[in-house]
Amino acid sequence: MEPELIRNIRLLLVDDEADFRGTLAKRLLKRGIAAHQAGQGEACLALLANHPMDVVVMDVKMPGMNGIDALHHIRERHTETEVILLTGHADTRDGVEGIKAGAFDYLTKPVEFDHLLSKIIQAYDKILGKKQKIEAVAYKARIEQQMIATERLAALGTLAAGVAHEINNPLAIIKEAAGYLSSLLQKRELTDMPRKAVFEKVLQKIETSVKRARIITHQLLGNVRKSESILAEVDVIQLVEETIQLVRREAEDKDIAVALQAADGLKPIWADPNQIRQILINLLSNAIQATPEEGRIAIQVESTDGGISIAVIDNGAGIPKENLEKIFEPFFSTKSPGEGTGLGLFVTREIVDKFGGTVEVVSRMGHGTQFTVQIPNRR
Amino acid sequence: MIKIPTNILLVDDEKDFVEMLSLRLEEAGEKVTPAYDGKMCLDVLETEPIDVVVLDIKMPGMDGIQTLMKIKIMYPLVEVVLLTGHGTTETAIEGMKLGAFDYLLKPADFDDLQTILADAKKKKAAQDERIRQAEARRLLRRGGNI
Ligand SMILES: Nc1ncnc2c1ncn2[C@@H]1O[C@H](COP(=O)(O)OP(=O)(O)OP(=O)(O)O)[C@@H](O)[C@H]1O
Ligand SMILES: [Mg+2]
Repeated sequence: MEPELIRNIRLLLVDDEADFRGTLAKRLLKRGIAAHQAGQGEACLALLANHPMDVVVMDVKMPGMNGIDALHHIRERHTETEVILLTGHADTRDGVEGIKAGAFDYLTKPVEFDHLLSKIIQAYDKILGKKQKIEAVAYKARIEQQMIATERLAALGTLAAGVAHEINNPLAIIKEAAGYLSSLLQKRELTDMPRKAVFEKVLQKIETSVKRARIITHQLLGNVRKSESILAEVDVIQLVEETIQLVRREAEDKDIAVALQAADGLKPIWADPNQIRQILINLLSNAIQATPEEGRIAIQVESTDGGISIAVIDNGAGIPKENLEKIFEPFFSTKSPGEGTGLGLFVTREIVDKFGGTVEVVSRMGHGTQFTVQIPNRR
Repeated sequence: MIKIPTNILLVDDEKDFVEMLSLRLEEAGEKVTPAYDGKMCLDVLETEPIDVVVLDIKMPGMDGIQTLMKIKIMYPLVEVVLLTGHGTTETAIEGMKLGAFDYLLKPADFDDLQTILADAKKKKAAQDERIRQAEARRLLRRGGNI
């Protein structure tokens, strides 16, 4: 074993003979091990309570609590500690009993120093091995969990897109059927139809619900376009301004001021304008929904090394810490069913990933939230 | 004012969809002929005077794009509007390059559909008119030679 590793061993010597302990400790120190000492079983347990040890070397025959009893306690309370027992020449029975009770090994006195040292090292090796095994198992579990999560998301995305596509067809039928009935109700011969208002109201409900479902299916399908997206020179500022126009009504309803803060001399980037617009709409409508009346939203656009950074900052409710990891998952939403499907950020991240960019979120409860999207220039 | 109906050929393998949209378009004053696959679509074109074909892209057998190519070869003056699920936007754009007039995402907004149909009809009418005039000029020229 490497000398540096040996130096890491936390060792406790327990023996009622102070001279024996002292000599042993001195020799161990020469090899790099600074051993702790205790003169009794009780003292040993007291020390262990506050100072965890790797290896305990302990005499069996001691006044008061003997080594075997102390060993029982150690096995119960300090499962990671290994114990090496020292027995008298004629007392091998003690040694065997010790092994049964969970000692790493036993040596008979008088002890040959190098023999003891190699036993100590073996015991420490065992501890290291156990630790590594535990770490390896934990690591494997973590990786597996991550893989399952990614695969599940990918599978879910494909499945969702497939479902969305299939649902579009019956949706189209419902839509045309309701639309047809609505247009019939407009006819002169039906002017005085009984309970006409109820029919109109119900048909209206069908049509708005179809619209809602359609938004969902289109969001879901929006991110499974094939590789070939349109690439164009995109003037991000112009896109942001257009997007602000798109959400202006929602913002005005709540008296929210939306400010665009753009750095000078921004260069256009090469990207798919539709997808950049979708990102902006998702972030901006989230910000508006999270912001109270008369709140403020800022959009900051800057050039970065080889790309562009767009930040959407609101002074709204903020996102609770425990939600931060979930908000990018599909269908995670804290909004009521009519208001949110929980796809906005999922789709946003899918798009950003495809561009090879990043999306980051910083949020303080009660203060506000900032989403920052970085998109590299594709050229 | 009396509306001159557009002769629409509606092609989709979803019969219920064809039926519902036909009812609605007819209610709006158009004339609709249904077809449920690409082959039936071409058969109808052979016999009926059609202005605009509304064509679903995703169909079993001959799909919308293949049907479109045949239409454009055999009946270049007929305008085609493609219907697509969102996932096939690229296919729709491909279709535009092959000569489709426009495309709509399913389920399409009825007002959008009507606008596009009207524009397509206008384009076809203008083309028909140009051809008629060219024909007339040709006849006149021939007359002058006698
Ligand atoms: N700016 C923000 N401030 C506070 N919470 C936010 C903000 N943006 C997103 N969230 C939280 O993240 C959740 C997920 O957002 P996401 O855009 O994915 O879905 P949604 O807005 O609920 O629904 P959808 O966008 O599909 O209509 C929201 O429900 C909300 O709880
Ligand atoms: Mg959202």
